[in-house]
Amino acid sequence: MASVEKTSHEKPLLEISGLKTVFPTDDGIVNAVSDVSFEIGPGQTVGVVGESGCGKSITGLSLLQLVPSPGRIEAGEILFRRNGDDEPLDIAQVSPKSELMRQIRGNEIAIIFQEPMTSLNPVYTVGNQIAEAIVLHEQVDKKTARERAIEMIARVGIPAPAQRVDEYPHQLSGGMRQRIMIAMALCCSPMLLIADEPTTALDVTIQAQVLGLMQELQAEMGMAIMLITHDLGVIADLADEVVVMYAGRVVERGTVDDIFYNPLHPYTQGLLKSIPVLGKTPQKTLPSIPGTVPHPLGLPVGCSFQPRCSERMSECEQMPELAIVNAEAESCRHAVRCWLHTDF
Amino acid sequence: MKLLEVNDLRKYFPIQKGIFQRTIGYVKAVDGISFDVHSGETLGLVGESGCGKTTAGRCLLRLIPPTSGSFIFGEEQVDLAKLTHREMRPFRRRIQMIFQDPHASLNPRMTVGDIVGEPMRVNQTEKGTALQDRIVELLESVGLQSQDIRRYPHAFSGGQRQRIGIARALALQPELIVADEPVSALDVSVQAQILNLLAELREEFNLSYIFIAHDLSVVEHISDRVAVMYLGKIVEISDAETLYQSPKHPYTEALISAVPLPDPNAQRRREHIRLEGDVPDPSQPPTGCYFHPRCRYATDICKQETPELRQVAQGVRVACHHSDTLELQGV
Repeated sequence: MASVEKTSHEKPLLEISGLKTVFPTDDGIVNAVSDVSFEIGPGQTVGVVGESGCGKSITGLSLLQLVPSPGRIEAGEILFRRNGDDEPLDIAQVSPKSELMRQIRGNEIAIIFQEPMTSLNPVYTVGNQIAEAIVLHEQVDKKTARERAIEMIARVGIPAPAQRVDEYPHQLSGGMRQRIMIAMALCCSPMLLIADEPTTALDVTIQAQVLGLMQELQAEMGMAIMLITHDLGVIADLADEVVVMYAGRVVERGTVDDIFYNPLHPYTQGLLKSIPVLGKTPQKTLPSIPGTVPHPLGLPVGCSFQPRCSERMSECEQMPELAIVNAEAESCRHAVRCWLHTDF
Repeated sequence: MKLLEVNDLRKYFPIQKGIFQRTIGYVKAVDGISFDVHSGETLGLVGESGCGKTTAGRCLLRLIPPTSGSFIFGEEQVDLAKLTHREMRPFRRRIQMIFQDPHASLNPRMTVGDIVGEPMRVNQTEKGTALQDRIVELLESVGLQSQDIRRYPHAFSGGQRQRIGIARALALQPELIVADEPVSALDVSVQAQILNLLAELREEFNLSYIFIAHDLSVVEHISDRVAVMYLGKIVEISDAETLYQSPKHPYTEALISAVPLPDPNAQRRREHIRLEGDVPDPSQPPTGCYFHPRCRYATDICKQETPELRQVAQGVRVACHHSDTLELQGV
């Protein structure tokens, strides 16, 4: 019975397991990402949330073999199903500069970054930059590529696309630049879009426009989205599944409802309580998490969160495993890395 | 008691062109705003980038000269805008500022003791061991330790640096603190610590804040009253609860609606108002109500006449032609 269940269940597009990305420095090796495992299903939106330095952006860059030097992927698998039934490809084994990786980047997995001004080239028109991506990945001439670029600019909701195509990034507002980034990322219809803090630099009304646009395009084109952000509101708005990271590790993972309505890890609970929520009768003091995020070279012994944790016990001197909360229920995918919820 | 009364504050930046630097126009960064701050109160100033909230804050401290307007300050009812630099000096210690970027606002070559002690040295309020004791006292009141006095800013995290900046602002026992985006560069868990600290200090030293921020939920949490700015003008000002529960200006409504709530079910249920387009260029603002090109309730009168900020209820002032008839949704 169980096997029938399995085959009917759609296979995940991307399966990350035991990913470890390290940066050798003069003072020692920094484990930016260690033992990160999660899946992204086709057409699904997975939110990765955490504070600065938790490894969420490096996880995103690892998926594309774009980890900046001297960083490197040291262990783990990134299984990517390029076409439905084929054997999955392990991106962790592909050389960053290989032809194969270039085919995947921008074509099958695309990425958009936080700061649209620094990720667009100021000396080329936006049309040229979109067309470049199309010419690289598809056998089309420049004229067709330009037409496709205009079409994409129209599709991301920028008025007068035929004129905008010949403008330079500095002539556009922040929100429009981010739309251009989205147009560039989606011009080759990728299966997965990695969005690294896509709206953090934008004003709140423009953020609402861009998030709405991403949702519309996802419904239209059916791509999966890995949404990296520190904003729990954005996660609640878009994500189906949520991965919470702290100090390079996944501390909790589950559906958006699991994370928001039944958070189990003390860090997730603390994070949710410490944000002021619009419209909630303002309390006098916000319940805050004491202390600060540990330095990556001086991580505490055992669980990285234990020095700040209010539920600290003697077991916390050892690193707990990421374990499924309710292992009996087959459908349960809620997992947490905490001794409070681990059977001994 | 009224601590500060701002009347019709304006700040126009000239746009100059050509070899003679001829003025060809003005950017009206702050275009006639009026509000007051009571003793012990926090006034939130909220709006999107380019709305003039930071410029307004800087004008109040005379860090940049205002184009026109008056600020009546303190029991003496002195108009700060009319004072010369020398006359302004005794008032400078009574109004202090906390900046956004804790990395850029502390001199990396000064120790924490020098940074926090500098205002007192410049104003010659304390010296010798009394100065040292006062610095330690200030550091402890913001949650730092006495041995931090000899360390340099680079040794501290963002949240701790912001605490140093707050200690410096408190050094001269000010009455009013202008806090310009004090938590927006911080991580969520640290942001809560700093917000709590600001609230505690307000009680302890009977401070008043002008809290400038773009994050509506942070502003709601800390403020007693909130003013919403759009393109250099205040469009709505009222007590925080009324503003968030029943906004009277369509822009306030849209801003509230645009904030994603960290609650998936509530987020699915809400009606989302998506404003079209961007904030207009402040050197060429639209005619009539500045918000009309993006407003879903706009009518002909909005295109022709600029609405005045007028009182619609006790303590609620709105600049909208239709505020009496519109039924707007809050949180």
